[in-house]
Amino acid sequence: MDDSSTRQPAIGRPAPAFQLRARRPQLRGDDPISLPISLPITLSDFEGQPLVMALLEQGGVPIDAGSWQPDILRAEARGLDAALLVLTPDGLWCFRPDDQLQRFAALADLMATDLLELRRDYGLAAGAGAGRAGASAGLYVIDADLTLRFAHLASAAGGPTLTTLMDGLAIARRDLGHAQPPRLLLSRREMVVSCLCGALAAFLLDGPALGHAASAAAAVSSEVEIALHINGVTRKVRVDPRVTLLDALRERLGLTGTKKGCDHGQCGACTVLIDGRRVNACLTLAVMADRAPITTIEGLARGEALHPLQAAFVAEDALQCGYCTPGQIMSAVGLLREGQARSDAEVREAMSGNICRCAAYPNIVAAIQRARQDTQRESQQETQQGS
Amino acid sequence: MQPFRYIRPRDQAAALEAGHADGAAFIAGGTGLVDLLKLGVEKPLSLVDLAGAADLPAAIEETPEGIRIGALARNSDVAYHPLVRRRLPVLSQALLSGASPQLRNMATVGGNLLQRTRCAYFRDLAWPCNKRQPGSGCSALDGDNRMHAVLGLEREGAGADRCIAVHPSDMCVALVALDAVVHTQGPGGPRAIPVGELHLAPGAHPEIETVLWPGELVTHVVVPVTPLAARSHYLKVRDRASYAFALASAAVALEVRGRAVHAARVALGGVATKPWRSREAEQVLVGQPAARATFQRAAVAALAGARPRAGNRYKLELAQRVIVRALETAAAGRAT
Repeated sequence: MDDSSTRQPAIGRPAPAFQLRARRPQLRGDDPISLPISLPITLSDFEGQPLVMALLEQGGVPIDAGSWQPDILRAEARGLDAALLVLTPDGLWCFRPDDQLQRFAALADLMATDLLELRRDYGLAAGAGAGRAGASAGLYVIDADLTLRFAHLASAAGGPTLTTLMDGLAIARRDLGHAQPPRLLLSRREMVVSCLCGALAAFLLDGPALGHAASAAAAVSSEVEIALHINGVTRKVRVDPRVTLLDALRERLGLTGTKKGCDHGQCGACTVLIDGRRVNACLTLAVMADRAPITTIEGLARGEALHPLQAAFVAEDALQCGYCTPGQIMSAVGLLREGQARSDAEVREAMSGNICRCAAYPNIVAAIQRARQDTQRESQQETQQGS
Repeated sequence: MQPFRYIRPRDQAAALEAGHADGAAFIAGGTGLVDLLKLGVEKPLSLVDLAGAADLPAAIEETPEGIRIGALARNSDVAYHPLVRRRLPVLSQALLSGASPQLRNMATVGGNLLQRTRCAYFRDLAWPCNKRQPGSGCSALDGDNRMHAVLGLEREGAGADRCIAVHPSDMCVALVALDAVVHTQGPGGPRAIPVGELHLAPGAHPEIETVLWPGELVTHVVVPVTPLAARSHYLKVRDRASYAFALASAAVALEVRGRAVHAARVALGGVATKPWRSREAEQVLVGQPAARATFQRAAVAALAGARPRAGNRYKLELAQRVIVRALETAAAGRAT
């Protein structure tokens, strides 16, 4: 390395510490549904969960403002319980798996010295105008114990391609094994990290293409501003009319309790209540749900107190893998409100829109019957007390 | 999904105007259309959401002509309505046999009338399909045609072997048996169309499925209340106990005087290219004893014109048994 001002970050060693401070206090996002960011952000904030960091703010990767679709990336990361920290020309993006969408902080709002130090410590050239060949963009995976597990630096000339990123991945795998005897199999952690890098690489390279597709689509599909009344809270969002309620809940509003199974109204995993009636969110366009009261699985419990059906599902062990469970419970809430099904056979028929691949059906029926009888008993007691 | 404009008109007049534009499609429940949008089968330029059209009815009311059901009435509301349950049991049963509770809470009567086929080749852009792409061919003729139609197919001429897709609706089969009338508003003003004349067999043009004009809007359906309707029954046989499309179904209605059949209606689902009324079966029934032997002869008559293919020959026997059992159930039922 001929440039003494940058240091090559070492794989398998503690990741270089960094901090990102606000240039002025009380920085707030301009997106109406974002939350205020709490700056400064430091590396130690991420201890305890993997962190994927992408530094893309200068040259190299041709990502223009508007092509960056953080929701998609956030959904990827959520599945792996990883946090994301991304610097783009748009600014700073930071997500933890369970955070709300946080869009904030133009680069100009961050302390320039912090940015320079971060870039330097992670092996990137000082600036686009440095005039010498050097890495201008980098992709890093930092483990839960803050060890740097993967780094790929892309040069200003040309930018990364999927091939070079995958080559980097292969190198990273070798590096991971370097200090230990050679082995053929990856550990689970390495597998997770590798998959995450692959997904991120593929995503970043898709970025510009998505941008083009989105601008082509914008010519016909103009976005619509809607107000979704979800679990008693009104959330304003701008959506393409093609976005389903299911995708709006999961990808835009961070309400991932509602699950996507078949996405064609055949499995019931996406069941929510609209106007108190159970429906498939995957076949409802978000624009069609504008201003209608929506209840999702997140809206059932009252604080720590579970909804009677949630409690009954626990009591009757009405699940195995649990993926269909939010849909099953929402469907059962609808079923009890409808008041049509009483016998076990009727309950089974009335729950036929919810598929359970683990076949927990007997216990699901038992849970619904338990909740139905509990609610009946309570309302009878209330009637008696009232008379 | 191809981009489209989303329009939410405030009343029927505005909906008609928006619906008249090139490439416009009406949307109400969305259960059929959103699915087909995702598959790329439907590619409208604009979606006209009828939910905001305040003067488009969703109510279910008794009128001198019969029970009037608004186009925006949800399937579940119709199925559980006391009037429908008591006076038109076959309609309630047909609706409850279709789809899932969630879908029935979304799907509307207007949309169900215009439901598109579930033919796997129609839904998969990779295959030729005359209904989706006129002239491209029919993949089901020599493909997997276990689910396909045996009735409503032309034997020869330009209309032969163009399309063997089944009409999927249960509700329409019941409405055909009940002599319902579909009311519409279109560019040419209001129309009243007997539901039996709404759908078209594929013939030479499988892409044209109904007699409706582009932009014509279903406003309501009127179902006559008759002694026949009170003694009616829907039987549906499918691959699983619930939540599946029919392999064969029958909507039947009987008016029995003494021991003889005074009037009868037989309509079939799951076996035909359109909701299928079998006047042949009805003719066999009228004037004959309301007994199994009569029902069996009627069932044979209903399937006499069938044209099975390699994978759906079983439907001949199955549909006949369904007809017989449905008639027996209706005959045993209490007339009101």
